[in-house]
Amino acid sequence: MISQPAMRFDQPGRRLQGLLAAIGHRRLIRNRYSGILHAMIFVSFFVLATAIVQSFGSVLFPGFSLAPVGGDTWIALAQDVFAIVMLTGVALAAWQRLVLRPARFKGSNNTDANIIYILIVIIVVTMLLEAAFAIVAGSGASAIWRPVSATLGAAFTAMRMSPEFASQAHDVFYWLHVGAILAFVVYIPGSKHRHMLLAAPNVYFRSLKPIGQIPRPTPEVPPPPLAAATDFAWKDMLDTYACTECGRCQAACPAYASGLPLSPKLLITDLRDHFVTQPADAPIVGPTISEDTLWACTTCRACMEVCPVHIEHLPKIIGMRRTLIENGNIQPMLQTALSNLQRVGNSMGTASKMRARWTKGLPFNVKDARKEPVDVLWFVGDFASYDPRVQEISRTVALLFQRAGVDFGILYDSERNSGNDVHRVGEEGLFETLARENIATLSACTFKRIVTTDPHSLNALAQEYSAFGATYDVVHYSAFLLELVEAGRLPLGPTERRTVTYHDPCYLGRYNGGFDAPRALIARAGCAINEMGRCRENSFCCGAGGGRIWQDDSAMTERPSENRIREALALGDAELFVVACPKDSVMYGAAIDALGVSDRIKVVDLAELVMSAAETHS
Amino acid sequence: MHIMVVLRLVADLGGDIEIAHGGKDIDREWVDLKLNEFDDHALEEAIFLKEIVGAKVTAIMIDGDGVERSLQTALARGADEARRIAVDDTDGPISSRAMTPVVAAAAAELGADLVLTGVQSPEDIFGQLAPSLGAVLGWPQASAVSSVKPDDGSTITVQQEYSGGVSAAIRLPLPAVLGVQTASRPIRYVTGSKLRQAMAEEIPRIEATAAVAMPDVEIVELRVPDEAGGAVMLDGDADAIADEILRLLADRALLQVC
Repeated sequence: MISQPAMRFDQPGRRLQGLLAAIGHRRLIRNRYSGILHAMIFVSFFVLATAIVQSFGSVLFPGFSLAPVGGDTWIALAQDVFAIVMLTGVALAAWQRLVLRPARFKGSNNTDANIIYILIVIIVVTMLLEAAFAIVAGSGASAIWRPVSATLGAAFTAMRMSPEFASQAHDVFYWLHVGAILAFVVYIPGSKHRHMLLAAPNVYFRSLKPIGQIPRPTPEVPPPPLAAATDFAWKDMLDTYACTECGRCQAACPAYASGLPLSPKLLITDLRDHFVTQPADAPIVGPTISEDTLWACTTCRACMEVCPVHIEHLPKIIGMRRTLIENGNIQPMLQTALSNLQRVGNSMGTASKMRARWTKGLPFNVKDARKEPVDVLWFVGDFASYDPRVQEISRTVALLFQRAGVDFGILYDSERNSGNDVHRVGEEGLFETLARENIATLSACTFKRIVTTDPHSLNALAQEYSAFGATYDVVHYSAFLLELVEAGRLPLGPTERRTVTYHDPCYLGRYNGGFDAPRALIARAGCAINEMGRCRENSFCCGAGGGRIWQDDSAMTERPSENRIREALALGDAELFVVACPKDSVMYGAAIDALGVSDRIKVVDLAELVMSAAETHS
Repeated sequence: MHIMVVLRLVADLGGDIEIAHGGKDIDREWVDLKLNEFDDHALEEAIFLKEIVGAKVTAIMIDGDGVERSLQTALARGADEARRIAVDDTDGPISSRAMTPVVAAAAAELGADLVLTGVQSPEDIFGQLAPSLGAVLGWPQASAVSSVKPDDGSTITVQQEYSGGVSAAIRLPLPAVLGVQTASRPIRYVTGSKLRQAMAEEIPRIEATAAVAMPDVEIVELRVPDEAGGAVMLDGDADAIADEILRLLADRALLQVC
């Protein structure tokens, strides 16, 4: 099958390093039970591979034996011990799959897994019995080096088994052992257990590009729509074959949790089945992957963050969305938002001249960065500019900047939506228009650095505009405010110590590593953070990203934002739900209203928290 | 068939509208211009006709701020040609009535045999453009049109909307002028990449061959509507609110409660 190229042969050192981390179970161990059992099976496999070498070598090459390097001593001991480790690991796996039955296995091929368990058990048990009969027959390793087999052998001896019989039984179990291994070898390539072979290369050839970028082949050439198998890169295909169907992505996915028809796991396995069974030019979007599945994604990146074999779900989803956009398959609400963005540069469709109206409520004039040089250029973003709920927070940020004596300005009606989510909707042309307009505006301004209140704008400015040759020193307001506080420019007074929880925005945290500054600010503002279970890299998306905020959510059984508020309420003592993204203020404010829990928890923006502490400073 | 579509930019009502000093116009400082929504439907209907029966579509606009971009968008949508018509500098926007002679002359020069435009605009709430174009050109005219079907080449049949869900099918000989209310299909999305391609095209600018009509009427004063009182917010649970609504309707004799 013809596939597209992928540049994945660079930086071998870094690639190897990541592979070693994966071998060290760095991601797998986050789920402790599964991680431990996988490690038991994984390590045992390598130890028991020596038994396979011994079994095949001794027959294929007369005179071959591992005995000179310890085959009858320490290797024999290791085989015996790890046989038990392997059986325990498989027992734990079977217990999980058959009894605990975590939801992430829903949709996985469980029969396939069970067949593998049985094959492993047969291979290991026949190996132990083969060794046990050898001991009874008086051949093989000494009993001291094979404690497990020796115990079995002792039982056979107690049953008065003759050495002659044991010798024959040894031969029978030898062939059973070899037969089971061959069955295993034949079974693996057609089963999800081929990950034994493909996981390592898949991790090695993972993307090393900055994670907030959707790579363009060249500045002039946008990434292509993915419509048929031939449009996908070889690495996309390798991804699908390396999938173990473990479902960690499914368990982390906010779209899946909200009842939308997207499971990142099934997306990958459906693509795999398509690649294997359909003609190379057969359309994928529609027949194999539905429109609703593609539009459900919030691009929060939780799936890619947890995947033990580093499968890249998002580039595939976004690439297939480009096909939908190109064919004009767009839901009405999304079409309205995109048309608004084309027309006035914001998704609400409000006049661009209204963009800076929120500044009217301030006791001072905000500098026009297009007309005079400023130290700090504040890229405000759509929601912070237009949404009445967020405008108040924008004014608070402006007042904080003024309090700290920051020389700042904004772009007034020349600012456009950064295009971050337009890009992830798959509207390449519109993204490029928005990006180039912003870049043109910025290039005519004089400033030292850009501060943005919006994590989505942060990602576009810091990571994506470089594709058009524009790089900036961009900082999120959480980090900027922390700088001001630490430099003594924004003194904070004593506040009543409150317990709060903090929600990591996807595009600040997972995408741009901004985990610590907001937490440090919260602490400086005198609050104690009680973390939710899903925090930092494992934060749970509010449901607004990747263009979801422009779409209908009536098909959801539970909105991700409501799921998240329930998680915060379950902490028991968090009075405030602290956010650092304008979309979060909107999403969680609505979620708290919908759940009717405004008497138990309140959404507060980081800036408001800092302001209340600043105001107590005399 | 050669279809000419007349497009107009109007104030974007997505912003807050305020009255300018002098009280004779809105304050255009805080408002953006956008394509008149009904004109958008007229364009969609023209492209729809092009696709089903084959026609040449030419979009025209009176030149001004933002016009080139709008016409480029029309090309991206599927129009074959676009023209912006330069008229002598006038103060402020040209009303639909005033642009009529200019547009009529363009229709004659382009050799159009069907002219489509929006049934009305926020600044032409009575929908004068289509009827007055028909009058100047001496062509038959229909407004509030929701679909256009070509017959044998010399006539078209249009659906005309009346209030209360009633509509009529009307046959008109060509050439004709139509004020379009809705296109036969939803307005399709034009991708940013198509727009970017169209943005590279320069829109020819032609001189008007007729003078703008001098307005017979003059705006004396614009005013924000008086705030009407009488809105009542109902509180309570769903049952209590339902009872209250029922009572209010019955009190006003809008509903007979048995």
